[in-house]
This record gives sequence, structure tokens and C-alpha cells, in this order.
Amino acid sequence: MANLEAKRSMSAFQLAIVVFVTCIGAQIMLTPRALIAQAKNGSWISVIIGGVLFYIATYLMLRLGKKYPDETIVEYAPRIFGRMGGIFVIAWLNLVFFLQVITIFYGVGKIITFYMFDRTPPEVVILALLVLCTYCALQDWGTILRIHQFLFVIAYSILLIVWLTSILNFQPENLLPLWPVDVKGVIAGGLSTWGMYGGYESVLLLLPLVYRKVSLNKLAKEVGLAFIGVTLLFLIIIIVIIGVLTVEDAKNLPFPALIVIRSVELPGTFIERLENYLLVTWIPVVFDTLAAMMFFMAQICMRQWRHADHRPALLLLVPIIYVGSVLIDNPQIYDQMGKLTMWVGLAFSFVVVPMALLLSWWQKGKVGKDCG
Amino acid sequence: MRELQDRNFVLAVAIDKADEVKEVETFFQPNGTKRYRVSLQILKLASGGEQKEETKTFIKSNTGESIFEMVRDMLGQNSKSLWFEHIQVIVISDAVLKDVGLSEILDFFKRDAEMRSRIKIYVTSGKAQSIIEFNPPSKEPGGVYLANIIRLHLKNVHVAGSRTDLGYTIQYFDNKSNILLPRIEMADKVVKLSGSAVFKKDKFIGYADEYAVAGLKFMLGTEKSAVVTIDSPKTPGYQVVFELFRHDTKLTPHVENGVIYYTDDITMYGNIGELQGDTSLNDTLDPEYLRILEVAFAEEIKRTIYYADKVFKKDMKVDPVSRFATKLKSHEPNTWEQVKDQWDELYPTIPLYVSVNVSIRNIGNHK
Repeated sequence: MANLEAKRSMSAFQLAIVVFVTCIGAQIMLTPRALIAQAKNGSWISVIIGGVLFYIATYLMLRLGKKYPDETIVEYAPRIFGRMGGIFVIAWLNLVFFLQVITIFYGVGKIITFYMFDRTPPEVVILALLVLCTYCALQDWGTILRIHQFLFVIAYSILLIVWLTSILNFQPENLLPLWPVDVKGVIAGGLSTWGMYGGYESVLLLLPLVYRKVSLNKLAKEVGLAFIGVTLLFLIIIIVIIGVLTVEDAKNLPFPALIVIRSVELPGTFIERLENYLLVTWIPVVFDTLAAMMFFMAQICMRQWRHADHRPALLLLVPIIYVGSVLIDNPQIYDQMGKLTMWVGLAFSFVVVPMALLLSWWQKGKVGKDCG
Repeated sequence: MRELQDRNFVLAVAIDKADEVKEVETFFQPNGTKRYRVSLQILKLASGGEQKEETKTFIKSNTGESIFEMVRDMLGQNSKSLWFEHIQVIVISDAVLKDVGLSEILDFFKRDAEMRSRIKIYVTSGKAQSIIEFNPPSKEPGGVYLANIIRLHLKNVHVAGSRTDLGYTIQYFDNKSNILLPRIEMADKVVKLSGSAVFKKDKFIGYADEYAVAGLKFMLGTEKSAVVTIDSPKTPGYQVVFELFRHDTKLTPHVENGVIYYTDDITMYGNIGELQGDTSLNDTLDPEYLRILEVAFAEEIKRTIYYADKVFKKDMKVDPVSRFATKLKSHEPNTWEQVKDQWDELYPTIPLYVSVNVSIRNIGNHK
């Protein structure tokens, strides 16, 4: 019987949803503190800079992918960079996903144990979430895509509604001065928003699934819409955090996004401690990001090892991910890992991908000349 | 998982200096001294038929230095675990605050995940424990009663209640701002909130009276409703009262040729709330008379604001809740960068120009 869940094609809009869902994950809780500490009142500008910058990176990836229809980067990288160079690039891409996944698992374990189950070791929370994400990532792409679409509508709308209750404590004056005194910090903050936007690299693996007839312009437009959505959501989060807590307060709190919600009191209702509601709606958001990233990692291994099924590779990756997550055992290592992940991701987007694009142009031009 | 009846809900915390150490309630301490007395007001959970008792709460105390250590040691005095999720109020004796900074006292509360941001904080010149021992005549649990008093601050200009809870106080610490906290006093079984404890950064420096608090609230526009009383212009010795319903208040920093000054533009709308004396002489239907009252009320509000300005600027030399500094930082960031290190010395010399307009919209139910 045919496997109906084995998705062979998807629309540009579905790709945009995947980009949106993969970008927005755990980082909405984990990264605002570092960004606000760096860019201060200009954090909102950093978010916009990041949005534009990483959209350009995604556009370059789309251009590259369109040059090799029906193939993922795993297939065409060795043709561009040579056999060893190709393996290096593919390993680099997998490392980008791996580092994101382990830092997210660590951060989620930390938040959930601190705010919900303070007696439970984070390793147990990580393990439980890992089992859940593995179960999802073991499915075929059709199932994962459906979960993405479902959560895109349900989880994000609830998350946003819960989040926006914090407007009750919003003080517009906390946002001033709007224009930054520290321009350098704002620009550096723009680069560090990679931690928030990271995940868009998935287009390098998903592009062959998008109908062939979809033009680059159409793809760029749909993915652009996803980036506008992601940027708006991050803008709301950063603006509300600063508006409620002030820059100085936010940078002293490990998870300011939760404290913002914690300050909300809904007069005349029995609903209290809204941070628990936020956490409950945030867990599915984290789950779909992690499941997708684990699926992408397994896909890369599967294609690299020329297997027909991604599941053995995924099961092999699970213990590595778990060990990687629990090895981050203090905030200093977590900060260092965050920086490492950012630089590995930035270098992949702005060195490897443009280089691949230039080499592919050069190689195709050469082929054309040789033929002529 | 603990059931509701297996928990001791702490509703209020009082922190005093440890004037006497009771052997049984305290513990052997390898580090530190018996510096503070921490008292917890705990909710009595009783079934419907057992609620004939006078009070809904009971008090447990301990002495030591670390608040957390005292709280944990108090488990030796309780049959159920102590639960801080529903804590309503923290009362601190000023005797404690004369020795140590507020941030030191509140550190346990700001760090612990059980605490809420909206816990009210009060300062008293007497014993904090007496305040949480107070039995409200309404039979509400004491902590809830104490916390609810401040909810009425929007209508009571004598109470500085705006942004004075734990969450905002932590924000002030992080912003290195000055702090105002409501003052609570108890005498002859009466508990009253009025005036304000003033902190320079987190160091307690004294109290501002009700009149200064009212002036400050008018200055910053933190009141929602207010009552302003003047001597009747036509019948001296009798009082006329203005009830404020709405206001537009704008405190703006200005920098001209390197000179900093502030303007405070206030427009207030309200009714005549009370008029004593002969109503035939004080004809509220006469538009001319209403104009006279409007000017007189505006003058009184101005006087109140200038009084507050004098108290905070000249007497205490403290920028209240660092509001003036925040305004300058927000609207004139370049100037702020130049003066921020000398702000404490500069602030008392910066002039404030106040302009008040009062508009009487109604005279009440009767002439």
C-alpha cells in the first residue's frame, strides 16, 4: 500500500509556513535577554536588520536551490565544491542544525524545570521532550508538514493572545530613546538575531519538494511574507519586553519574556500566573521546531549515506543530541554555545552559500563556453 | 502533588529587627547573627462549620540573618509546608531599613520562582509584625485586606501606590532608580496607609507626608481621581471641594543652551464635590463664580506641586522614583549622557515650571 504520508510535493505557501514555524521556536523565550543587553533601546532596529539580513541569506539559498531542481544541497554540494569539499559543507549544515537543537533542548529543560517542575532534573525534561520530538521526526514529511500547519494556526494564535495580555503593563516611555545612542551595539545585535531567525536553512533541503512550476519570484515573495511575519512577531516580543520591564531590568533577567507575563494580573478573574499558560502554549511551538530540525538532520544523513529511509539515521542521532544537550551544564557554556552556533550559522549563510552560488555560476558559465 | 489542605498559604511577611531572640523559635546559626525577625501570616484552612473563630490567619516568627534560612527553619513550627504562591504583602520596619538597603531585604523575594510580581510592599515606623497581626473588622484574611487597601490609591492622593509592588521595585533596583513605597502605620487597632517612605537608590532616607505625596501625584499625573480643598473665595473660613475626574498631565524636559529645566502642563476636569458656607453667596450657577473657583483650585494644585517639589528637591535632595532623570534620558538622551554621573548633585538645582488649568464641568446634584 502506498504511504500517503510520504509527501513528494508542496506549495510555495507551505514552504513559507515551514520557514515561519522553524524560525520561531524556543528562541522567543531564550534569546531576548542577550539581544536587549547588546542593543538596548535599539533592539527593535536589530530585529529589523536581522529580518532583512536573513531574508537575503534565504533568497540566496533559494537561488542556489533553483539552479539544481529536484536536488537538495546534499546532492549538488559535492558537484560544486568537489567530493571532500561537499562532505565538509554538508557536515557544516548538519552542525548548524545540531548546535541549534542541543542549545534549544538545554534552554527548554532549564525553563521548564525552573518554572514548572522545580524538583525534576532538567535531563528528565529533555529526555521526555526528545522522545516526543523523535516520535514526530520518525514520521514522513507529510505528517510533519501537517503538524506544522496545524500548530501554525492553533499554537501561535494562542501564544500571541496570552502574550499580548502583557500590554496591560506596557509603558511606552520605557522604549525611549527610540533611536539608538549605541549604533555599534545595534548592528552587532542585528547579527546576533541569527539565534532568533535560525532555521531558514531548511529551504536547502525542502526546495526540491516545491512544485517545479513555481518561479523563483513567487518563492521569494512567499518566503518574504514568512519573514515579514517572523520579524513582526519578534518586534512585538522585544517591544513589549522593553515597554513592560525597561532595558535595564530585562537584561538582568534570564528569561524576561516569562517575567513580562508574570506581571500580568487580570482584575476580576480567577486566572492567575499567566506564565504557566504561556509555557503550556510555548511547548508545542518548541516541539514542532525541534521535530523539524531533527528530521532535517536525519534527512541529510540519509541522503549522504544513500539510504532509502531517514529513520535509522534519526535513531542514531538521538543519543548524540541527548548527550550534547546535557553536556551544556551551566549558563557560561550555554552562552559560549550560543555564540558558537551563531558564528557557525552566519558563516554558513554568508560565506558558504554565496561561495556555492558564485562557483555554480562560474562552473555553468565554463560548461557553456566549453560547449561553444 | 500536595492537596490544598496540605499546604500552609503564606499571605503576608513582616520583617523587623530582632529585638529579642526566643530560644524555642530560633535555631543555631553557624554564620551571621540574629539580626532580623521574620514573621509569616498564614491562612487557616478550615471547613465551613469550623469558621467561628475570630481570625482567619495565624502568625509564626523566627530570628536570624538569611530570610530564606529562617523560612526553612520555620517548617519546624509547622505541620504543613509553607507556600508562597499567594503572598499578598511584605511589611518592613524602617528600623531594618536604617541599617541595610532594601535590595538586600528583598533579594529572597525577587529570586524565588514562587513569588508574584504584584506583591505589595509597605514600610512602617513601628513593628511590622503588629501590622500583619491586625485582624480586619471585615473578617477578610489580614494579608488580603492589607493588599487591597492600596488598590484604592487611584482615588486617594495621600497614598503613593502607583508602581510600588515587588515587580516595579525590582525594576527600580535594576535601573538604579530612587524608590517610593507606601507607608503603613498602626495605632489603637487602626491600620492606615498614607504618605510615603523615600529611598535614594535602595537606601531609606525618610518619609514624605501626605501633602507632598499629593503634590507628587499631581506633578506626575499618577492620580485617577482626587479631592482638592480650598478656602471659599467669597466666604473665608468655609471650604469648597473640587473632585477631579480626568486630567491631562505632561511633564516635559527642556534643554536650552545647555540649561535644563522642566515644565509641567496640567489640565484638570471635574465637579464641585462639596461647598460649605452660605450657598446664596457662593452661587454655583453663576459662571463668573465658577471661573473664580477654577483659578483658586488651579492655584491650590500649583501650591501642592511646588510643596512636593520643595520636599523632594530641597529637603530630601532626591529625584522621586527618578522620574525626572527618566524623562531626560528618554527625551534628551545626548544631554543625559553628559549629566548622568552628576545627576544627584544637579537635580536639586533644576527648575520646574508648573502651569495648571482647572475646568469645572458640573456642580453636582444641587446648586
